[in-house]
Amino acid sequence: MARKDDILKSFLTNELLETKYELKKEELPSTIREALNSDRPIIKAIALIVEGLDGTSPVTDPVLRNQVTQFLNEAL
Amino acid sequence: MIIRKIQIDNYLCYYDTNTFELSEGLNIILGENGEGKTKFFEAVDWLFDGENRELDMLVSAKKLDETEIGDGFRVRVSMTVEQYGEKSIITKSFLAKKEKANECSTSSFMIEGISENSSGERTQVDGQALLDRIFPFQIRKYSMFKGEADLNIFESDSALVNLINLFSEAKHYDKYSEKGAFLREKAEKAVEDSSKLDKKNEALYKKLEGEILFFDREMAKYLVHLNSTEEEIRKIEGNLQLAESHVSNADALETLNKRIKEIEERISYLTGRIDENYTTSLFDENWILVNFESFHKEFANKVSAHSKTRRELQSDFDKQKGVKEGEKKAKAELLNNAVPLPIGVPSKSHMEEMLNDEICKVCNREAEKGSEPYEFMMKRLKTYLESQVIEDNEPDKDEPLFKFDYTNRLDNLSISHEDNLKNLRLVRTKIKELFEFNDDLKKDIEELNEQLDLEKTERDRILGNSSIAEEKLSDVLKNYNAWQKDLKNRNQEQVDYTTKLKNIESDLKAKKEEKDKIDTNSANSFLIKTRNILRVIETIFIDTKEKKFDEFIEKLQTKSNNFFKTINIDAFTGTIVFTRRNKVNRTIVEVELQEDGRTFYKPNQSLLTSMHISILFAISELASEIQEENFPMIFDAPTSSFGENKTSQFLNLIFETENQKILLIKDFLHTDKLTKTLSIKKEFESVRRNKAFWVKLERPFDANNLKTINSQVITL
Repeated sequence: MARKDDILKSFLTNELLETKYELKKEELPSTIREALNSDRPIIKAIALIVEGLDGTSPVTDPVLRNQVTQFLNEAL
Repeated sequence: MIIRKIQIDNYLCYYDTNTFELSEGLNIILGENGEGKTKFFEAVDWLFDGENRELDMLVSAKKLDETEIGDGFRVRVSMTVEQYGEKSIITKSFLAKKEKANECSTSSFMIEGISENSSGERTQVDGQALLDRIFPFQIRKYSMFKGEADLNIFESDSALVNLINLFSEAKHYDKYSEKGAFLREKAEKAVEDSSKLDKKNEALYKKLEGEILFFDREMAKYLVHLNSTEEEIRKIEGNLQLAESHVSNADALETLNKRIKEIEERISYLTGRIDENYTTSLFDENWILVNFESFHKEFANKVSAHSKTRRELQSDFDKQKGVKEGEKKAKAELLNNAVPLPIGVPSKSHMEEMLNDEICKVCNREAEKGSEPYEFMMKRLKTYLESQVIEDNEPDKDEPLFKFDYTNRLDNLSISHEDNLKNLRLVRTKIKELFEFNDDLKKDIEELNEQLDLEKTERDRILGNSSIAEEKLSDVLKNYNAWQKDLKNRNQEQVDYTTKLKNIESDLKAKKEEKDKIDTNSANSFLIKTRNILRVIETIFIDTKEKKFDEFIEKLQTKSNNFFKTINIDAFTGTIVFTRRNKVNRTIVEVELQEDGRTFYKPNQSLLTSMHISILFAISELASEIQEENFPMIFDAPTSSFGENKTSQFLNLIFETENQKILLIKDFLHTDKLTKTLSIKKEFESVRRNKAFWVKLERPFDANNLKTINSQVITL
């Protein structure tokens, strides 16, 4: 498992996701690729950040911000 | 990464070429003081981080001495390492040129790098870049330890955090909490901007922003207060615990000093009571007369006899005197009290004539011989004749027999002595009693002196056990009470600040909720939703980072304690405890030794060293697990405070650990007192290791002449 998948997993296992967003463990994606295709905005947003920071081509802060906020603003 | 070989050429005591072919496990380099151990360490350190100055100080004096003026030679430290199946050689060197006797000039140093792939192909690369790639600077920093003091890299409160960040997974999460905050702040700003477009809430919004800012500042302020109070509490608790170890001593010392004083006073009192002024007693107390009674008896007997004799004489004298008086009286009666004729009438011749004729011619009667008249005449003649003889010698009729009465005085003296005898008889008892009294006192004093010695020994023991001086020990009690008072005050402050912070937090929350309410009513809903999600994401990022950090600390604590217990097998250790503390703008990790949940202050050096080594080993092991790579650790004399036994145990323990370790120690060497020959002790045979070397100076050498110094490397 790639490090970015490990990092993603450690974020997604946070209990806030279960308490606040009622996400069940079995619904959680195990890879970045899966997470990027999730229909849960919070999961996809986290995946975007992990990919942006630990992916194959890291992005700058403004790019990261645009990617995440644009996605969230549109998705919500 | 494994160091396969270290080669040192003409570097200080390492004359010519010296090679250490190292094993990937435990490498032990033995060496007596001053025979090349530390120079080995310094050579490697120079290779890693040495500066380009005073290079002439690094030149082998022996090599320089052997070099002709004008000729040169290379001073070099080279390291061959293996990493991911590839070999790399990093060499740092400079040229030394002999200018004149004992003097040389040097070139700047150069670092060469050679990379060799698995098929043996060699490539020349930048030496410094190669070094930093295979053995990064941050890791080198925690790989080289010179002496025991160097092992304590945790004195600064940020050191351990840096180390944990370097080796733990937590470091990967740092950027997430940063970016999480960045994204959340931007989303907040977007919401605020959107809300501000709604002019009806402008004033209230501004007010709320100001209040939130105020409460934020207040909170930061009280957090600082709380942090510093908590730090003070820890410090006071430390002082108190330190003092506690002395308090019992101080208490005992006070009691002992009191008892010593009492004993000394008693001894002084008893000594004062001893009366040994025997000369005075001899005369003033009549001790000299202790044997007088027998002399007195003899004296009294003599006086008594003398007195009797005198009285007898006096009595006789008086009798004689009485007889004479009586005779006078009888004569008077015979003459019918008529006056007798005077003596000498009739005359002597008439008397003789009448006696011859046996006739009293006075009264004309016969006076035959033997008849009464005859005897009368005869007596009359005798009396006359006697009166003629005695007349001159007869004493004066009034003279007493004894003119002076000395006898009476002697009697009185004897009686007076007799009276005194009663007192004199007591002298012997008095002497005996005084001697016994003095002896008893001396015995008491002797016992007290013994007791005093015991008390003083006890006091010395207490002072010996105490790490502080006597006068300071007595201050401990005073400080102890003051610190307890301080602690009480600080604890109260802590409660006050915590309450205050809770109140501020609650106010802040209320204001933020109020602001959020305005946002909800005024700003675009998608912006609010985005912000809310980013708030949650930031919280998740921070939580995860802290979780990873805590997990690492927990693992580190467990591993450190495992090493710690193994190094100090069968001995008291306590527990190494790591504590994360969140300061206002940063996180620090503190490490301390605890005993039953309380900080164990002032552990001995050996315990401290083993604690530091345990932590380093634990970090190194964790780093290996996480990074899937090992880095070597080099220690110069890390166990000076250990005994040889403990060093053996320690070496056997690190033999079990995975990293490559190079240890320079002076143990296990023996110098023959007579021949001064050095040898390796038998005990070293039982020390488990992968490779061992012995660096020793080539004999003979002159300790005052560097030109004779050459450290030889013997592979054992």
